[in-house]
Parts: sequence; structure tokens; C-alpha cells
Amino acid sequence: MIDVDVQLDRGSFRLQADFEVPGKGVTGIFGASGSGKTTLLRAVAGLEEGARGQISVNDSVWLSRDADIPVHRRKVAYVFQEASLFPHLNVEGNLLFGRTRVNELVHQFDLEEVISLLGLKDLLHRDPESLSGGEKQRVAIGRALLSKPSLLLMDEPLSGLDHGSRKSLMLFLEKTIQSLEIPVLYVSHSSDEIARLAANLVLMKDGLVSAYGAIAEVLVQVDSPFATSEEAFTVLECRVGEGEDLHISHIHSRGGETLRISKVRHGVGMPVRLRIQARDVSLCLTRPLHSSILNILPATVRALSRQVENGHRTVKLDIAGDNVLARVSEYSCQQLTICPGLELFAQIKSAALVT
Amino acid sequence: MLSPEDLSAFAISLRLAAVTTLILLLLASPLAWWLSQTRSRFRSIIEALVALPLVLPPTVLGFYLLLGLSPTGPFAGALETLGIDRLAFSFQGLVLGSVIYSLPFVVQPLQNSFYALGKRPLEVAATLGAGPLHRFIHVVLPLSKLGYLTAAVLGFAHTLGEFGVVLMIGGNIPGETHVVSIAIYDHVEALEYSQAHWLSAALLALSFIVLLVVYSTNKHFTLVRS
Repeated sequence: MIDVDVQLDRGSFRLQADFEVPGKGVTGIFGASGSGKTTLLRAVAGLEEGARGQISVNDSVWLSRDADIPVHRRKVAYVFQEASLFPHLNVEGNLLFGRTRVNELVHQFDLEEVISLLGLKDLLHRDPESLSGGEKQRVAIGRALLSKPSLLLMDEPLSGLDHGSRKSLMLFLEKTIQSLEIPVLYVSHSSDEIARLAANLVLMKDGLVSAYGAIAEVLVQVDSPFATSEEAFTVLECRVGEGEDLHISHIHSRGGETLRISKVRHGVGMPVRLRIQARDVSLCLTRPLHSSILNILPATVRALSRQVENGHRTVKLDIAGDNVLARVSEYSCQQLTICPGLELFAQIKSAALVT
Repeated sequence: MLSPEDLSAFAISLRLAAVTTLILLLLASPLAWWLSQTRSRFRSIIEALVALPLVLPPTVLGFYLLLGLSPTGPFAGALETLGIDRLAFSFQGLVLGSVIYSLPFVVQPLQNSFYALGKRPLEVAATLGAGPLHRFIHVVLPLSKLGYLTAAVLGFAHTLGEFGVVLMIGGNIPGETHVVSIAIYDHVEALEYSQAHWLSAALLALSFIVLLVVYSTNKHFTLVRS
């Protein structure tokens, strides 16, 4: 269990973060820029002077009323937005820097594992300045893992990279950080990264935590600042089905609905996760015929956001037991008299496969 | 050519500069580090004190040192208990004077270099489990190599060329406090221009060679920071 309740004042900005997430798996910290995500992460690491409150990670207390464990004793590793490799050490030296904390024998074994996992074998004797952005960040991640932390913090590790390196590093992240024994706090403002990596979510807004918990539950709280924003999305845990049409794969939701998406390489029965943006979901009272939209599913309205944001409301739908958000104009809401309990059809314009 | 006396003056100057530089590097490291990191309100006071020798006439510094170090001075008792009978007119006295005189030339390049490091490398090291001492030795020192080189060259050169302070507290004792800058002055006073030439040219050549070696082995080296 990661239990955080910290306060920090920085001039006009005030961080007041209170949340509790499981002590294993990836927790996404999501919010607009300036919402305090990085400050929160730095406070957890102990890098922000003047942080008050309490932080405990799987039963070790890092911050409390009468203790403030210094950064180097917190058993934390931090992957910064910029790789921040030590320029005076080569790749191998950088990887081994955290060894002071680690028993040498354990270390030797893991070094090879990390090198092969992150594809660093050919880079070991290179200087950091000769590496590409993606390579640097891979080294930084390897260096963090090798220091054997009990908590891994990642601050937008992909945001400084070009599209290509981002894509390939994302594959590395999916392979590595989701299967770690230790918990990971992953800061991002990219819904794609969060949807791919996170099992849990902490939503930040203006220095405050607006919601936290399992990702599927947090995302569908219709009145949260996130759900009412244009960025709102939901994730569906699915399995690859057998059917296959022209360039199309069939994906089954847990409730047995079938979605059609562009052909995937995953084998039949493999678990996959779909990300559906609320703005890509529209509503019809009758099933539209002759539509080019592939996914038209029966749904029941569960809730509507109270607030109208930019003329839109967020509608929470139940599609065979899964919750999906739709972003619908207030005008349409009134025209269709959308209210909880109403049965209708959701047209899903696009659903992205994220794992 | 150089007389044995001139050679001894040369040797004393080199020894003085070397000892002073060594002491200064040890002393200035923690001081410059503290100055670069602290947010204490005493920082300005300490910085001003460190910079004083830059603006103060060396004779003024020498004068106060002379008063302070004399056998009847305020520190006489303390020095006696330390087993040092006399600092004025001794090599140790010169070392003390030079350390004070050259302090800013060593502290400031180090301080600049520590500033230039930024916080990030230290933060990374801390999150990888490195304590303060480990961070200093394995991150700060190697990344401040050029700063240390600048500090050493400047400290050494300034001690070598020191005149006013030495004149006041050295006493010009051959074999002990008769340094090369004083020797040149004495030769000129005595109208022995050829010997003054030899010593001056030797210093000139030495300075040039030191700088040449430093510049050619460090492409980003600079003595003066903007």
C-alpha cells in the first residue's frame, strides 16, 4: 500500500495531495500541466524541501510528523523527464551507479537481465552524449531498476522524445514496468500512456487530488474534472475473439459484447485493453442502419454530469456491464431527453488497442 | 645566469605556491560548496570576506597580519600553545598570508563550477541511494574537474606573483622567506638588470608553459568566466 498525504507551499502554488493506492503495479498520476504532478512525485521522493504530512510505502514510513527520511535512504528510484545521465560516466558506469545500495552478488545477476531487457548490450561503453534521446532514457530506466528501489517514480519519461523513439520505448515500458514486483508511480499528461500502463489512477487538478483508485472506476466518475474535460476516456478490458473480417478483428468485452477494430496481431483469447475517448462516442435512440461506424452497441445511461462544460455533458453508459463515457452536447442531451435509465445505442467511432 | 641565492628564491616561491595551493584546494572545497548550496543569510557576509583580498591593497592585508602574528600580537598565546613560536618572518607565516591572499582566486572558480552543475545530477545520485559524501566524491568532484583546474592555476599563479603581503610579513630572510618576486625587486633596486631579467624571464616562461599545458589538454578550459 502506498499511502500519501502531503502538503507543500510554493509561493502561490499549493500542493495538497491525499491518496492511497495498492503497493504493487503501475499507478498513473494524470492531470494537466501545472496541476502539481511533478511536485507530488518530487515530494514522494523527498526532493522537495518543506513537504509536510505523511508518506508510507509498503509499511516503511518515509515522512511523518516526527520523521523525514532523506532521499538517499528512501529506497526510491526516479526517472526524470530528461534522462539526466551522468556525463562523466559511460553507459555501464551509469547503470552501476546505484550499486552502493545493493549487494554485489544480487547485482551481477540483475545487470545482465536489465541489459538484455532494455537492449543496452551494444551501448555499454558509449558516452551518454553519443546516445539518442530514446537510448538515454532506456539507460536511465535501467539505472533506476538496478538500484533495487522499493518504489519507482517516473516523470513523463517519454515526453522529451520524438514519435519513433516514443513508440519503441513504450514497448519496453509495457514489457518491463508492468511486471515489476515493486509499485510504480507514473506521471503523464498523455491519456494514451496512462491507458496503456496504469492499473490505478490518481487524478490531479490545481494541486489537489480529484480522484484516485482503480483506473476503470476513476475514469468513469462523471463529475470529476477529468471526465468532464475533452480528454475524457475509458478503458475496456477485453479478449481477442475468433471472428475476423476484412482487415478487422473481433474483440470481446467482459460482458460478451463484440467490438470490431483494425486487425490485431494478438492471438485468439489474449487479453487486450481498449481505450475509448468520450468524444468518439455518440448516442442514438434507435439503432442506426447503414452506418459506416463499425461499433454500434446497445447501452443504458447510468449517469449524467451535473456540470455543462463548453456546451457538453459527460454521459456514463453501461455497455453489457462495462462503463463507457460519452461526451454529448447539451443540445443533444435535451433533444434526446437523455436521463439515467434510458436505453439507447452508443456509436463508437474509434477504439484504440492499447495493449 | 641565476645565482644560488636566486635559485633558492625560486625554489621557495615554488614551494610556497604549491603548499598554498594544496591547502587552499582542501579549504576552499567545503567553503565553496557551502556557498553554492546555502540559503543562509550569512552567505553574503562570508562571500564579501572571501572576496576582500581582491580589492584590498596587499600591504593592508600584510600590515594586519604582521600585527596579528607578532609575538606580542593577539594570537601569540594561542600560537604558543600550538607549538608555533613565531609566524611573522617565517615560511609558515608566508603560507598563512598567501592562503588568505589567494583565497578568492580558488573559492570563486570552484563556487562557479558548483553552481554550473545544477541540482539535477545530485538529485539523480540521491535517488540512486548515494549519501552526501558519496555524491560529492563521485558526482561533484568529477564534474567539477575544470573548475578545480582553474582554481589551482589561479591560486598557484597568484601566490607565485605575490609581493605586497610577503614584503610586509616575510622579512626577506634568505633561504626562508626570500621569494622570487622580492628577489627581482632587490635586483632592480641594486641596478642588477641582467639578473632581474633572468628571474623574470624564467617566471614568464614557467607561467606560459603551465597555461599551455592546461589549455592544450582541456578544450573547454577558461580562466575567466563571464
